Amino acid sequence: MARAAKKKQSTKLIALSSTNKAYEFKKPLEKRIKYQGKEVDIKLHEDPKGFSYIVWKNKKYLLDVIEKKQNRYTIMVNGVWHSFTVETPVSLKRKRYLEQQVDASAAVSIEAPMPGKIVDILVEVGGEVKEGEPIIILEAMKMQNEITSHITGIVQSISVKKGESVMKDDVLIEIKKG
Amino acid sequence: MKIKSLLIANRGEIAIRIIKTTRKMGIRSYVIKTAKEPNAWYLEEADEIIDFSEKYDEEIPEFLDIERIIKSAKKHKVDAIHPGYGFLAENPVFARRCEEEKITFIGPSHDAIYRMGHKTIAKELAREHGIPLLGGSPGAVRDADEARKIANKVGYPVILKAAAGGGGRGMRVVEKEKDIERMFSLATNEAAKAFNNPDVFLERFVREPRHIEFQILGDQHGNVVHLGERECSVQRKHQKLLEESPSPALDNAMRKKMGEAAINIAKSVNYYSAGTVEFLLDVDNSFSFMEMNTRIQVEHPVTEMVTGIDLIEQMILIAEGKKLPFSQKDIKINGWAIEWRINAEDVQSGFSPSLGTIEKISWPESENVRVDTGVRDGSVITPYYDSMIAKLIVHGETREKAMQQSSIAIRKFWIKGPKTTLAFCRAVLQNSNFRKGNFNTSFLSKELKIHYQNEPDDALLAAFFATYDYAREINENEEKPLHTENGKSITPWVLKKRLR
Repeated sequence: MARAAKKKQSTKLIALSSTNKAYEFKKPLEKRIKYQGKEVDIKLHEDPKGFSYIVWKNKKYLLDVIEKKQNRYTIMVNGVWHSFTVETPVSLKRKRYLEQQVDASAAVSIEAPMPGKIVDILVEVGGEVKEGEPIIILEAMKMQNEITSHITGIVQSISVKKGESVMKDDVLIEIKKG
Repeated sequence: MKIKSLLIANRGEIAIRIIKTTRKMGIRSYVIKTAKEPNAWYLEEADEIIDFSEKYDEEIPEFLDIERIIKSAKKHKVDAIHPGYGFLAENPVFARRCEEEKITFIGPSHDAIYRMGHKTIAKELAREHGIPLLGGSPGAVRDADEARKIANKVGYPVILKAAAGGGGRGMRVVEKEKDIERMFSLATNEAAKAFNNPDVFLERFVREPRHIEFQILGDQHGNVVHLGERECSVQRKHQKLLEESPSPALDNAMRKKMGEAAINIAKSVNYYSAGTVEFLLDVDNSFSFMEMNTRIQVEHPVTEMVTGIDLIEQMILIAEGKKLPFSQKDIKINGWAIEWRINAEDVQSGFSPSLGTIEKISWPESENVRVDTGVRDGSVITPYYDSMIAKLIVHGETREKAMQQSSIAIRKFWIKGPKTTLAFCRAVLQNSNFRKGNFNTSFLSKELKIHYQNEPDDALLAAFFATYDYAREINENEEKPLHTENGKSITPWVLKKRLR
């Protein structure tokens, strides 16, 4: 990945958002972006405390890289985060192709939204769940939180046990759409 | 008795807040150092540190270890203990142990804490004194069956609450009979965990009330005054997100009526020190007593901003046995104050905690802005304590001006590191019903559809920044290949931790 991009670093990069929106930048290092059909220069500033910001249309936009894993980025803009993968034209093409190959009816996993302890599991393998239905009780920060399913389907597997501690983003349950 | 030294059995922003007053009063302050945050800022602010970090009990967290705190206080011959909020602040055993050991407890009597802490006893006292209450179980509910019976009598929805509770924990709303068993077990489990007491009671649930609380101050000579109300209706799962004083919902007549009820509740337990009486205000302007909090509250600064009274100072003077220096007619509410809680929470993922290091924090200094915080550059938000980063309190002559000042202050409040609730604060300020003062506890679930505010070009600039950083890193890699590991950047804070 890095090697492929290395050769092309002087050319185009694309930031692909989590909602699949692609933002193209011809030469990001030259700090120029295309906005409403025009090329606009971007000025990156750093204040005396070391905060980075862009002045855009007379407003300050505080920017921060809060997570970065290879080409996966989470950027904070004025306290709101946005996730992207940074792609080259080639890697984007490959990604789009691979996505088409994925079976649309594959199982969806429900992940732990925060670290905590599993207090109760409210579903069984093979059981039916409806969207919005509580499936697991997770204790975190001294609160018992109901983890709900965001899809309707059949429980395919349960990866955790009662009393087990989980980390953020650990897969708890897999649900097959139906 | 004049208090010359004071141990603060607490941490974070409230420890620093108390130290501000002890400094002003010439009192020597002591704090407790724990292994969980040995570099916390509050330790530097205090005059003396009592070190609990070398030896600690896995079972009893430091700030809950009554006997160890008492022993340390005696060893260092401190005159008094201030419990802050949370931890032992509303533990009657702790207050009694202080009394037994002749250490002045900065708070009410253990008896008042006990009776108000037991929600069922408190409700009984309110009933005796003619304070309006919601229908429900007279005491703790034995089991799910009994809960079902009472719920059928008062009608759904109902709410289950921990008898020993507070702060929104151990509370569950039950909409329908089929849910009562599950909710009963959730509430009792949580109550047992959080308060060491699984008892829950049941009440009729008011669907869209306002949460309004009155700050009261009482001395040991039977004088009690109220310092006006705080509007705390903007909540998520019973956790307050912002508070203001006064409330846009009350006129002077209502303020007088509810204030008098609050004073009567306090007098029913011979209350002294600072305390808060919570009410629910229904759409028809009827109000019901909820509970009394027998401690200083997180949101006390809004009251301080509009009354000009230092509540911590009054608590200390009252503990010394002094009479209140004012009576009800002397209390004037000046302008409007709003407190914004800035928490390390991910608003875009259901307010889940966002732990980590505060790399940088800065805010606008101004006459009408007050910031109470326990963190600074390099501080760590740990999973051991709550997720609060800071409280931003803004004062204005009117509510409109306080909101205007808030917008400016929030925009200039910069934090680098964890995800925070700042974008949520901006979303609230943009909501027209909030601006009109027209909201209740359902504000988040019904009115505020998007819990964070962003601008149309945010995503574009973020996308640019991601590609820029990526391109720059590749460029740097070519020049100095040793400076990254697996494409991850190492901040000085992480490096500092690894070197230790």
